[in-house]
This record gives sequence, C-alpha cells and structure tokens, in this order.
Amino acid sequence: MANWKKIGAGIAVIAVVAAIGAGGWAWHSLNTVASNVADDTTRLADFKSTDQAAIERGEYVMRLGDCSACHTRENGKFAGGYEIGTPFGTLVSSNITPDAGTGIGSMTERDFFNAVRQGIGQHGMLYPAMPFTAYRKFSDQDMHDLWAYMSTVTPVKHDIDENAGMKFPYNIRLAMAGWDMLFFDNSGFRVDGSKDDAWNRGKYIVDGGGHCAACHSPRNMLGAEMGSAYLQGGNLGEWFAPDLTSNPHAGLGTASAQDIANYLQTGSDGVAVAAGPMAEAVEHSTQYFSKADALAVGTYLKSLPASATQPGPVQPVDTPAMQKVALAYEVNCSACHGLGGEGIEGMVPAFKANHGLLSSDATNMIHAMLQGARAAHTHDRQTAAGMPAFDWKMDDRQIADLLTFVRNSWGNTATPVAASDVGRLREFLKASKKMATP
Amino acid sequence: MKRRDLLRSFGAAMTTSALVSPAAAAELKGFPEQTAMSADHLPRPAMKGGGFQVFTQENDRKILAAVFDRLIPSDKFGPSASEAGCLEFLDDQLAGRYGEGRALYLEGPVRPENEEAIMGSPQFTQTPRQRYEDGLKALEAYAKATDGVAFHALSPGRIDEILSGLEEGKIELPNGVKGKWFFELMLQNAREGYLADPLYGGNRDMAGWKMIGFPGARYDYRPYIERQGENLKLEPVSLIPKD
Repeated sequence: MANWKKIGAGIAVIAVVAAIGAGGWAWHSLNTVASNVADDTTRLADFKSTDQAAIERGEYVMRLGDCSACHTRENGKFAGGYEIGTPFGTLVSSNITPDAGTGIGSMTERDFFNAVRQGIGQHGMLYPAMPFTAYRKFSDQDMHDLWAYMSTVTPVKHDIDENAGMKFPYNIRLAMAGWDMLFFDNSGFRVDGSKDDAWNRGKYIVDGGGHCAACHSPRNMLGAEMGSAYLQGGNLGEWFAPDLTSNPHAGLGTASAQDIANYLQTGSDGVAVAAGPMAEAVEHSTQYFSKADALAVGTYLKSLPASATQPGPVQPVDTPAMQKVALAYEVNCSACHGLGGEGIEGMVPAFKANHGLLSSDATNMIHAMLQGARAAHTHDRQTAAGMPAFDWKMDDRQIADLLTFVRNSWGNTATPVAASDVGRLREFLKASKKMATP
Repeated sequence: MKRRDLLRSFGAAMTTSALVSPAAAAELKGFPEQTAMSADHLPRPAMKGGGFQVFTQENDRKILAAVFDRLIPSDKFGPSASEAGCLEFLDDQLAGRYGEGRALYLEGPVRPENEEAIMGSPQFTQTPRQRYEDGLKALEAYAKATDGVAFHALSPGRIDEILSGLEEGKIELPNGVKGKWFFELMLQNAREGYLADPLYGGNRDMAGWKMIGFPGARYDYRPYIERQGENLKLEPVSLIPKD
C-alpha cells in the first residue's frame, strides 16, 4: 500500500535522525508517566478479572479499537499472525493472548498500557501499523477495562517473530523512536468544555479507538498523518478512504448525523454501502457501537469544517460517445444500480448523490470494477451483496468512460477517470486483461 | 451402455440422490468473500487460433460452405452462414462433446422392427462427427457421379436442386447415407451457428441476432416494458465482450 511505502521511506530518514540522538526531544515523546496509574506487579498470565461489568466494558473498548481486525486470524482469537506486506518486508501482527511464552502473559498492566498507548512493547518499539498514536487517547478507565477483558481471553501458544520478515534497516525497532519524536503526540484526550458531551464522545472515538484518521487523513512523506488535511480523505494504494468533513461535494455535507450513525451500525445509510476495508471495519468494529456512540461520531464528524475540495468541471454525458457508454451502463450496471443510479437501498450503492464516490480520486470505483466488491455483512444487513468483477469484460478505456459517465449523470459532477489510472490499478491488483474473443 | 441399463441407472440415481449428497459438490457456508474473477469461472470462447480440428481437409470445408451458404445466403439482411462463422462454430462443436455424441444413445435398437414407431424420429448409432465424415464424402461422390465435378464447383441453382431433392427424400446418397437425415442435420447446425451466442464461434458480430432483432443476453427489460408496438432497435448483447 502507498501508505506503507511512505512509512518505510520515512523510517529510513528517521533512523538517521535517531542516530544523531536528540535526547531531550526524545524525553517527551517516550515519556511513559501516563502508565503510572497501572499496576506493575501482576502479570496478565497470573490474573483473571472477576469484575463482570469491567470485562463487558473492556470488550466494548476492544470493539472500539478494532483489535481483532489485525490480531485475530486463523491461529485463534487474538493469537496474531496477520501478515502485512510492505515494500520493506513483511510485518506480522502479534499474539496478544495471555500466554506467557508467546503472547502478552508476562506483561503487567503497566507494560500493557505502555504498549497500547505509548507504542513501547515487550520486544521494543512498535511499528505504526499498530495505531498507538490514536490509542494514546484511550482514557485510563477504558484501559483498565480493556486489561480486565484481555485477562479473560483464552491463552493460545503461537510464537510470532513480528519483524523477522522486515529487511534491514527497517527491522531495527529503535528506529521508531525517531519517528515517535517527530510525530507522536504523547498526550491524552482533552475534553473541549465549549462543546457538548456527544461531540466530545464522538471526537474521543474518532481520534482514539476508532483511529479513523489512520486511513481517512492523508499522510506526509514520512508516513505521518497530515493534521492540516485532517479526515479529508486518504489514498491507501488500492482503496481510497473518502473525505469525512462536511464538504458538500465529496464529503459528508449532505449526510445527517443519523445517516452516519446508520452507516456505522448497519454498513449503509441507504445511499452508500460500505465495501473493501471499510466493510471490515463495520463488520468487526462499528456495527457494535451503541446507538449513542454511533450518533456521537456522526455529531462530531458533522462539526468538521468542509475541506476546500471543489467539484471538477461537469463532463457532458449527452454526446454521442457518452450515449454509447450509457448503453454499456444500462446493459452491465442498471440491473442493480438502477437506471437512475438509485441503487437498492441498504444493499447496492446508489450513484446519484453518493458523494463518497465523487472525489477526484476514483480508486474505489476502479477497484470495484476490476475485482468486484462486497457489502459489509452485519447483524442488521445480512445480504452482503456482491458486485462482480468486470476486468475480463472491459478494457481500461471502457471502464474509465463508464465511471466518468456515472460520476457525471443524475446531477453528479466529478473529474473524468483516466484510462491510465485504470491500467495502473489493473496491474497493481494483478487483475486480468480483457478477454480475447473470436 | 444398453438402453435398459441406462434406464435402470436413472432409477438408481433417483433413489440414491435423496440419501447421498454428491461427493463432488462444494459446500458453502455463509457467503463467498471473494468477488474477483478466477480463470476457471470465465467463459471460454471457441477460439480458432489453432485452425480447424475436424474439418482439416480444405475440400470438406468447401463442400460445407457451399451447402451452408445456400441455406443462409449473403443478402441485404445479413452475411452468409460461412461469413458469420458457422463453419468455425460447427468445427468447434464436432471437436467436443457434441461431436462425440456424449448425450446420445448410440447402441443398436433392441427391437429394430419397432424402432421408428416407438421413437417417432430417426435414431443413429453414429456420432455427429462420423455422420459428417460420411455425409460430406457421399455428397462429393454424388456430385462427381451425376455432374462430373466437385460438389463446391456446382452452380448455386444445381446445389439448390440437390438440397431440395435431399430434403424431400428424392435423392439417395451413396454408401448408405440417408440424404434427408443428413440434410436435416446440416440445416439444424447452420441455424445454430448463425443464431447461437458468439461465445460458441458463430453468429459473428451478432449478425444473426441483428437480422432477427433478438437482443441477446440482456439482464433486464423493465425500461422497455411499457413501450409496446415500437421497434426498440436494441443493440444485442453477447455473453462475451463483443464491442
């Protein structure tokens, strides 16, 4: 993923910064005084919470943070083993079960706080694939509850060498100290007294456990989120995390807080449908949000000032060339997405006024055309409708024209899609070429 | 397989299928996560890159083209059968299961004297591929014997005469080839090649569908359901990308 390229390149630069040794600077970003509230005597392997209320709250905190997304794979619940391919080697998610030898069983609560909130693990500094920069905002209470929940997890013996697959110098964990110095804001969540409780709760979830900005903010050259473009959309290489500000053209300007809550809880607000990595986030995390929390996230996001993104110049679709594309839309797309781009509510995304698809970055639509996509499978929406792949049926030009048509019909306005962008993603995803026919 | 064995096996299949699930079936739980196309899910167009597999002799192709292009000639309504790829279509079919008669009962009748009365239509012990091999030879021999030239060299009018004679059962071909039945086989296959999806090698550029106004493999006609008594001029759609 592009993010990983940037992070990797950043690490190389930072390794040098770290080597120079900015001692005083390091003091603040690596300061673990916030973990002093935690017990430093009992190991997780020797502790099993009996506080049922705390355990249940802790499970909810785990859902907010979406820990299982990376730490639960086929090796068992929280036993790690999720491989994250980067151009600099493979990173593997760790075993966070209470097993003393291979999991986090020998950590004390203080060690656990250090790992989750400070990025300082039992084997050294953590890589920013672990979103400790966001988890730093977790309250002490939530951390105590999460600790209680983790004590109830069944220990699994599964040895993982997290960074063995990383190439030199990226396999040196200490390099992350330099990254932390530059980009880690080592401060907890601060309540804004001028805003109401829902807004503050929403910001706590968005910036903390939800770690929304990890995907929805663009990253700079060194792989750190750009505060100046906070939640204005980020390219993940094969997917694009849309603008979450109130931009009326490409963001959440026309959505209500309740629409956002519905999307998080069910995978659809009736217009957009979660797919790709967001479908995973909905399935593993946001569908478990309480009504109040989902609405709080909506309330907070709706308060974000609109990004400066302007709609592209409208592309006329009444030309003879585009009318041929309209026929291709009718034949290939309209059965599900509708002749008026209306979609099927809650199951198939609409195109009309689906602003998440009108960004100048059309990666998501191109990806769906090349490899298909599947809607989130949630308690409320069980269908998980699938979009078939069209890579075998259309060439780069045809896909680009079709998307340009969709992005400029039914009142939509968006930049045209370039065939070269389709070609690049086709190659990156190893999608097939258009089929040769007799 | 004997016909009675065949029938018995149907009975056996009926009784066991209720009890035993077929071992080859893949069982899915939940829903399939993957939506990307895998190669084994793709349609496989009849590709003629490797040339003809059954009609390897040029003279056979010439005879067949001569017959097919009288059945569906090139005119203002569309291309001829051979121009629309009907030879390629038929070659591909005869090279595969259809040509081998996989779906046909090919043993002799148990009571030959009752055969026609029971079945109501002609039965064959030859595969379609064998019937073409023998049939084309017989047509060539017939043309040489009656007109002294190769079949494909006959005038269109003379070919029409012969085809009409075959159709009406008035001409018997040499070597025991039943002329009427071979004619019916060729007519059937020419139609199929002209009107089947281009996936199968014929109906080139969907010429057959354009001729008769068939819209092809479209998913949905709701936009048109109210537009009655009107020429909708729908562009046909193939199962494979033809644009």
